[in-house]
Amino acid sequence: MLSQRWSNIVFAILILIGAAWFAWVAQGFEAAGLLASSGLPSKFFPQLLLAGMAICAVIVLVVYLVKGAAGKNEDTHVYGSGAAALRGLSTLVAVVAGYFIWRTWGFEVMAVFIGPATLLTMGERNPVIYGIVLALAGGVYLVFTQLLGTQF
Amino acid sequence: MFDLAAIGTAFVNLADPFTFLMLVLGIVLGLVIGILPGLGPPIAIALALPFTFYMEPVPSLVLLLAIYNAAIYGGSISAVAVGIPGTGAAIATVMDGNAMFKNGRGGEALGLSLTGSIIGGLISVLCLTFIAPVLATVAIKFGPREFLAISIFGLVVVVRVAGASLSKGLLMGGLGIFLTTWGLDELNGAERYTFGSYHLYEGIPLVPFLVGLFAVSEVLIGAEKALDKVRFDQTSLRVNLPGMKTLSRLKGNLMRSSLIGTIIGIIPGEGAAVAAFFAYSEEKRRSKTPEKFGTGIPDGIVAPETANNATVGGALIPTLTLGVPGSPAAAVLLGAFLIQGLAPGPTLFDERPDIMFSLFLGLFLINILLLFIGLVAIRFAAKLILVPMTVIVPTVLLLSVTGIYAVSNSLFNVGVLLGAGLLGYVVRKLGYSIAPLSIGFVLGHILENSLRQSITIADGSVAEFFNTPIGLGIYAALILTILWGPISDWLKSRNAGKVEDA
Repeated sequence: MLSQRWSNIVFAILILIGAAWFAWVAQGFEAAGLLASSGLPSKFFPQLLLAGMAICAVIVLVVYLVKGAAGKNEDTHVYGSGAAALRGLSTLVAVVAGYFIWRTWGFEVMAVFIGPATLLTMGERNPVIYGIVLALAGGVYLVFTQLLGTQF
Repeated sequence: MFDLAAIGTAFVNLADPFTFLMLVLGIVLGLVIGILPGLGPPIAIALALPFTFYMEPVPSLVLLLAIYNAAIYGGSISAVAVGIPGTGAAIATVMDGNAMFKNGRGGEALGLSLTGSIIGGLISVLCLTFIAPVLATVAIKFGPREFLAISIFGLVVVVRVAGASLSKGLLMGGLGIFLTTWGLDELNGAERYTFGSYHLYEGIPLVPFLVGLFAVSEVLIGAEKALDKVRFDQTSLRVNLPGMKTLSRLKGNLMRSSLIGTIIGIIPGEGAAVAAFFAYSEEKRRSKTPEKFGTGIPDGIVAPETANNATVGGALIPTLTLGVPGSPAAAVLLGAFLIQGLAPGPTLFDERPDIMFSLFLGLFLINILLLFIGLVAIRFAAKLILVPMTVIVPTVLLLSVTGIYAVSNSLFNVGVLLGAGLLGYVVRKLGYSIAPLSIGFVLGHILENSLRQSITIADGSVAEFFNTPIGLGIYAALILTILWGPISDWLKSRNAGKVEDA
C-alpha cells in the first residue's frame, strides 16, 4: 500500500524539481520594446513565489523524513484499500481516455464511452445503473444541443 | 449609500418571471446537490456556472446565490437522516441531529435544522445589506498598497485555517498564485510560461480551473467508495417545525449563532464548517447541561445549522466589496461575476447598485422560499440520499466537461478542467487542502499587480511602502490573527493548570 509518508516525500521532491525548472524558465522572460524598462521585471513575482514554495516543500520534506507525518490525525495510507485505489486510479484513466476520444472521434462518442467506462472502473455490475447513466448522458446532450444551442 | 432608484430597479428585476424561476430552480438544485453526500456548495455553483453564460447578470447571480444558500441547508438533511453530512458545513449537525433521528424524533430534528438555517440566513443577509455598502464606500479609497494588504490577509487566514499543517497550506496558496502568473504579463507584455501556445496568452482560465479543482477531484475521490451502501429509516423523514415556545427558548442560541456565522463568514477562509463547530462549542460552553450535547438535543442542532447558513451573507461581504472571496464557494461565485463582465469590488457598488440591491433582496427572498421548498424537498430526500455514487460520478463528470466546453467552445479549456481535477485529486489524497489553492488562484492577479505597483510607488523606500494607515491596520489585524492561535492555546493550558491546582 502507498504510504502517506513516502508519497508526500516524493511529491515534495517533485515540487522542488518543478520550482527549480520554472525558475530557470523565468530567467528567459523578455518584455516587449519600450515597456521593458517599466517597473519590476516579469520574472520577479513568479521567482519570488517559486522560492517561497521551495522553502515550504523543504519543510514538508523534512517533517515527513523526521516525524513521518505533517498535521494531526493524518491517515497512514493514501488509499483506504487496494480496491479503492484501483477504483480511483482506473476512473482517472477512463476520464483521461474520454478526453482523447473526444479529441479524436468527437463529443458523442465520448459521451457514450465515459458513463459505462467509469461504471466499469467503479465495479458496478447492475445493468439498470448502466441504462440510467446512458439516459442521463442523453439528457445532458439534449439540454446542451437543443436548449442552449451548443455545437459539438 | 442606499440608492432608492437602484432599490426600485432591484424590485423590478426580481419581479421578472425568468429571474423568479431561476431563484426557485436554484433553491431546488442547491437542495438536491446539498443532500447528495459529497457534493457541497462550491461544486453545486461550479456545475451551474456554465449555464449562466447564457443569462443576464441578475437571474444568473440569483440562481447561483440560491444554489449556494440551499446547498448549505441541504447538507443537513443527510447529516440528520443518515449521519453522513452532505456538505462539510453539516459535520457538526451530525452529532445531535443524527442522535435525535435515531431516537425517533427525526421530524423534530429536520424542523429545527430548517428553522435555524432560515433564521441564520436572514440575519446574515440583513448584516450584508447594511455593512457591504458602508465597506464599499471605504474600500473605494483603497490603492495598490491597501489591496496588497487585504489580499495577503485573505490568503494567510485561509492558509491558517485550511489544514493542520501550515507549510502544506502555504505551499498550496503559493501554487495557486504561481499558476496565475502564466500568460502575458499585464504590465509589460512579456510572455510567461505560454510554451508557445496562444491558448495560454490570457493565462489559465479561471472557471475551468475552479470547476476541475472542486467537481472533478471530488468525483474521483467519490469513485473510490462508489459501492458503499447507505441504509436508514425512511419513515422518520417528516418535518415537524418548532412552535413559538421552543423558538422563544432557543432565541438566544439563534441570535448568537447567527452573529457567529456572519462574523466567521466575513473572515476569508473561515468557512461554514468552522462557523458551525464554533457555534456548537459556544452553546455547549454556555449550557448548564453540556453533557447532554451529542445525545440529540435541540440546541445542538440549531447552533451549527444557524451558524453555517449565516456564513453565506458574511462571506459575500468581502467578496462583493473587495473582490476577496470569503470562502471557496464565494471564489467560484467570483467566476460568475467575471462571466458577466462584472468585477466585484468597491466600484461595482458605484457603477451597478441595481445589481447589488437585486442580490440583497434576492437573498432575502431565497431564505423565505427555502422554508416552503425545504419542507417539500425533505419528503423526496430519502430517494436522493439513496442515489448511488456510481450514478453521480459519471453524470457530474459529463456535466462538467460539457458545461465548460459550451461556455468556451474550446477543448483546451476542457483539458484545463481535467488537469485541475487531477491536480486537486493528487493534492487531496496527499492531505493538502484545496481551499488555499483556489483562493490563491483567485487572488493571484490582484496580489501581483498591487505588489508591483506598491513597489513602484514606494520607489525603494520601505517606509513609503508601509505608509498607509488602512494597510497598517490590516497588517496589524493579520498579526493578531496569526498570534491568536498560540495565545489561545497558552490561555487554555494556563486555565487547565489552575483547575488542576484547585
